[in-house]
Amino acid sequence: MRSLWIIALLLSSQAAISQVQGDAERGRTLAYTCTGCHGIPFYKNAYPTYSVPKLGGQNQQYLIDALKAYRNGDRVHATMQAQASTLSDQDISDVTAYLVRVTEKN
Amino acid sequence: MNPVKSMLACAILIGFSLPVLAQSGDYRRGLEKSQTCQACHGQTGNESLMPSYPRLAGQHQDYLAQALRRYRNGSRSNAIMAGFAASLSDQDIADLAAWYARQDGLTDLSID
Repeated sequence: MRSLWIIALLLSSQAAISQVQGDAERGRTLAYTCTGCHGIPFYKNAYPTYSVPKLGGQNQQYLIDALKAYRNGDRVHATMQAQASTLSDQDISDVTAYLVRVTEKN
Repeated sequence: MNPVKSMLACAILIGFSLPVLAQSGDYRRGLEKSQTCQACHGQTGNESLMPSYPRLAGQHQDYLAQALRRYRNGSRSNAIMAGFAASLSDQDIADLAAWYARQDGLTDLSID
């Protein structure tokens, strides 16, 4: 009986660690657009000039917050605001669920 | 090429390379300066204290520097980062970005 409790505790702590919301498979399709800039190594933002950030393996909650901030205008970047404005909450969950799990270059 | 012309050519070349040198940063100094950052982002930038804090490890150096400059000048707003970035010099930013960029972590997306 005690071992059952321990297993239950372990499972719930695992769930907390790998807590990813959204449908990563659907997100994979949505992320096709992202690869136009974020999938090209050393692709540069035009002005000012700096590399567009790597997203693969980024923390999901950070990505969700970033996309929502672009969508509501708290974070300013013309291209990202335009992209984010087309995304629903569900889209944001799904696309970020996919981005989290991209951890290796293919 | 006469001496005056070649000296002029050298001066122009050095002038062009200065912005690059200024941005390069010293990753060892970056590690020393990253004590404050480490509390939330970890030593390598892979150990985020909260899920809403980004991983920094392996991020492009010039993107990290750009983000810190934008926090510093207020064009990117985050109450926590604004406070830390305010105290950073351009050299601090270059050094910190150099440290976190050279760690293993984030990856580019790939086109399937």
